[in-house]
Amino acid sequence: MTDLRAEVRRGVSALGQVPAQGRGSTSDLSIDEALLLHSVGWEPVELVTGVSMASVPWGVWSWGQGEIAAASAAHATAMRGASERLTEECDRAGGHGVVGVRVAVNVYPNHVDVELVGSAVRPVGRRGQPPARPFVSDLSGRDFCLLLRAGWEPLGLAFGASFVYAPRRSARTTLGQAGQNVELTNFTEAMYQARELAMERMQQAALDIGAGGVVDVVMRQGPMTFATHAIGFTAWGTAVRCGPEGHRHLDPEMVVPLDDAVVAFAAESLRGRPANAE
Amino acid sequence: MTEAADLPEATSHRLEELEHGLFTSDLSVNEFLLVKHAGFHPLGFVMGSSIYHTGIQTRRWGKSQELTKLTEAMYNARELAMTRMEEEAQELGADGVVGVRLDVNYYEWGRDAAEFIAMGTAVKAEDGSSYRNAQGKPFTSDLSGQDFWTLMQTGHVPQGLVMGTCVFHIAHRGLAQTLGTVGQNVELPNFTQALYEARELAMTRMQDEANRLGATGIVGVRLEEKSHQWGSHTIEFLALGTAVTKGTGAATLPVPTTIISLDN
Repeated sequence: MTDLRAEVRRGVSALGQVPAQGRGSTSDLSIDEALLLHSVGWEPVELVTGVSMASVPWGVWSWGQGEIAAASAAHATAMRGASERLTEECDRAGGHGVVGVRVAVNVYPNHVDVELVGSAVRPVGRRGQPPARPFVSDLSGRDFCLLLRAGWEPLGLAFGASFVYAPRRSARTTLGQAGQNVELTNFTEAMYQARELAMERMQQAALDIGAGGVVDVVMRQGPMTFATHAIGFTAWGTAVRCGPEGHRHLDPEMVVPLDDAVVAFAAESLRGRPANAE
Repeated sequence: MTEAADLPEATSHRLEELEHGLFTSDLSVNEFLLVKHAGFHPLGFVMGSSIYHTGIQTRRWGKSQELTKLTEAMYNARELAMTRMEEEAQELGADGVVGVRLDVNYYEWGRDAAEFIAMGTAVKAEDGSSYRNAQGKPFTSDLSGQDFWTLMQTGHVPQGLVMGTCVFHIAHRGLAQTLGTVGQNVELPNFTQALYEARELAMTRMQDEANRLGATGIVGVRLEEKSHQWGSHTIEFLALGTAVTKGTGAATLPVPTTIISLDN
């Protein structure tokens, strides 16, 4: 019978150690991604994670007007904490950056939690001192290679979020608008503003780390499940910078894959679908 | 049509930042590289939205007809969102917007209201030549970066995202009709006709928009059917595509290589 406590202690103490010379690497990259990385002179080092939770003060989700600043701030704190831990782990593993970061953001009534998981990578054979600031990127290994070959480098994840209360319509306006085709201008403006705010914060984050652009921007929006009148907007993407040699054009090659015949006609479509199918 | 309201303050601040060299884009890395290869530089992620309250129109149970008021609402709302997106692009001095997506969101608190969103990446030609369309506005296109590159290689230039929509109420069948067809193989002409007419209307409207832009063709046409929140017999038919013209450039599309990929 193994001594569970001793095992846990061993595991915890191993966390802080620099990996030994010649030790194998862990990563969640697929085989072709790992091979691609090698083709541009990089190798995976270790699977790294960063997790952070930030509390949201009680009662901020109840009705109000304008931005829910406390929630936006909690989101920013959690995100900062998670990426700091991710880069710390990467640093300890001797990585120069993290690729393929999966981003999971969950907003609960009382806290925001952020989980980042990715593969730390480094130039092949470079075991020495990693750079002062490892990069973080949610690009896949494939995209990372493409970017490097085109003369660009990833710098970090740029994040922005904003939470806003949906405006209310008075009974009179609601009645006045019943049965009419009209734009609800105050709603439009509130949502517009919130979305722009999230994007603006993302841009600011990118500018802060000296980026020239943000690629693969993901924009999520939706009402909170626990408070449908509160709407959250999150935007993130990988901040990139053009290297000193400038942009290199990669000539694409036109290919026709011979794998599966393209299904141009599905017999089921003849049978149709119920008119109310969404 | 109502005038698009001025863009909110937050927008101008965001766009100002973009004018200082930073770009944002929802293009993936390969799309980004292909857009660069086609001679364009992304300027920024642009969008427009409108929360729109749709009116009510009475439908007759047994009559197939277009619900003009709802059609108008769908048109207006999308047009508002698109115009705002174009305004943002114009503010950035863009030649066009690629990868445009049109979405409709519903919220619990908005009865009979929906949010219409248009977003895409504003791009500008790197050699300084103008690619604006016949109306002097930035072109819009729902083509992906890959499709955009391929289109440009064939010497075609996108002119604009064109759409046609038609909200149609499809008549219910009467009892006598239903009984008459029980157990038989027969076409239901009233359904066929109604669906036919609605689709044709949507397509014709889309073609009219393309004609107004002086386009020679529409590529990547999609025909979508949605019931939104109107119940099963009221359907919106939406036709969407990118209007293109043949530019002056010659076709430089390389001959495709056939490959057998080793993925699964």
